[in-house]
Amino acid sequence: MNGTIVVTGAARGIGRAIAEKMAASGPFIVIGVDIAPELALSEAITPVQVDLTTVEGPAMVRETVEASGFPLVGLVNNAGITRDARLVNMTDDDFAAVLEVNLGAAYRLSMALAPLMSEGGAVVNIASRAYLGNFGQFNYSMSKGGVVGMTRALALSLAPGIRVNAVAPGLISSEMSMGIPEEVRERMVEAIPLDRMGTPDEIADTVWWLLTPLSSYITGEVIVVGGGRSLS
Amino acid sequence: MSGVIHWAVEVGEDWGEVLAELTRAFESTRAVAQAEESFVYVVRQDDLLGRRGTGNAMVAAGLLSAARTAALEGSRKGWTANVVAFDEPSDRAAVETWAQRLLEAGDVTGELVRVGHGHIGKALP
Repeated sequence: MNGTIVVTGAARGIGRAIAEKMAASGPFIVIGVDIAPELALSEAITPVQVDLTTVEGPAMVRETVEASGFPLVGLVNNAGITRDARLVNMTDDDFAAVLEVNLGAAYRLSMALAPLMSEGGAVVNIASRAYLGNFGQFNYSMSKGGVVGMTRALALSLAPGIRVNAVAPGLISSEMSMGIPEEVRERMVEAIPLDRMGTPDEIADTVWWLLTPLSSYITGEVIVVGGGRSLS
Repeated sequence: MSGVIHWAVEVGEDWGEVLAELTRAFESTRAVAQAEESFVYVVRQDDLLGRRGTGNAMVAAGLLSAARTAALEGSRKGWTANVVAFDEPSDRAAVETWAQRLLEAGDVTGELVRVGHGHIGKALP
């Protein structure tokens, strides 16, 4: 084994695709982290069921990494939720929940695991194309903008030994996007130059590229994977 | 055009401080949006690039993204949302002037105006 990789939000969707891609692509111990009880992944992935918004959550992940016996070479902060509403109607609870999960958990885990990362390691934060703005997602957009800011700051503070980048997915075929009403989703797809939703595997491929030496001179960047939607 | 200029407050590396500042911005902005008034967030250019710590970077970049989303919502109601980023030596009055201009413009929304020259040749936030 070459090392350990941690992937959060690994129970389903993009996170699951990333964890499975890592497990299948290299000689790594992959630790899949999620709060969901149905965290049943392939045998190649070590499941850790924790709430990353608690103080104990990141500590438990850290203990699991240390117990793996291999250096930490990758961290993928993917866990995220949505609680959409127009700004004028957004509740305090919906605001706080999204900020805590999407940004606070990623920050706490990054702080807990950064000291364990080996030279040449990489962090990939899953932001969202919504960091450029998206109607009805003030909380989500702010949280993902925060992830972009965190990415830039950590890229500077952890250099030169560790690279930190972000991936900003557009509309991806996943449980989260399936919650969007069908006719709204169809209109969204019509606005995508590549004329389709992306797949979790396409995000996983980009994450893989950012975790490996294939991207060895890239840090502090945001890679938008959105089928050209940022132009249309 | 009336509205609010919201200056981002310095935070440390503690998540609680970051969340408190983002929550303060949310509460202020929601009230402004409910009143159908415009707003401008003011942040430091160095924070948009992550040069002054992770806490300040999360706040500045979070506010920029939030302003872009609010701008989409405000465009249907006639109010605007913008961001002014300034270099450290900029004087507060000059920054305030640009923020006031954006509040009064009415037809500029979702924009980032950078006061000073430190952003030239750097990443587009």
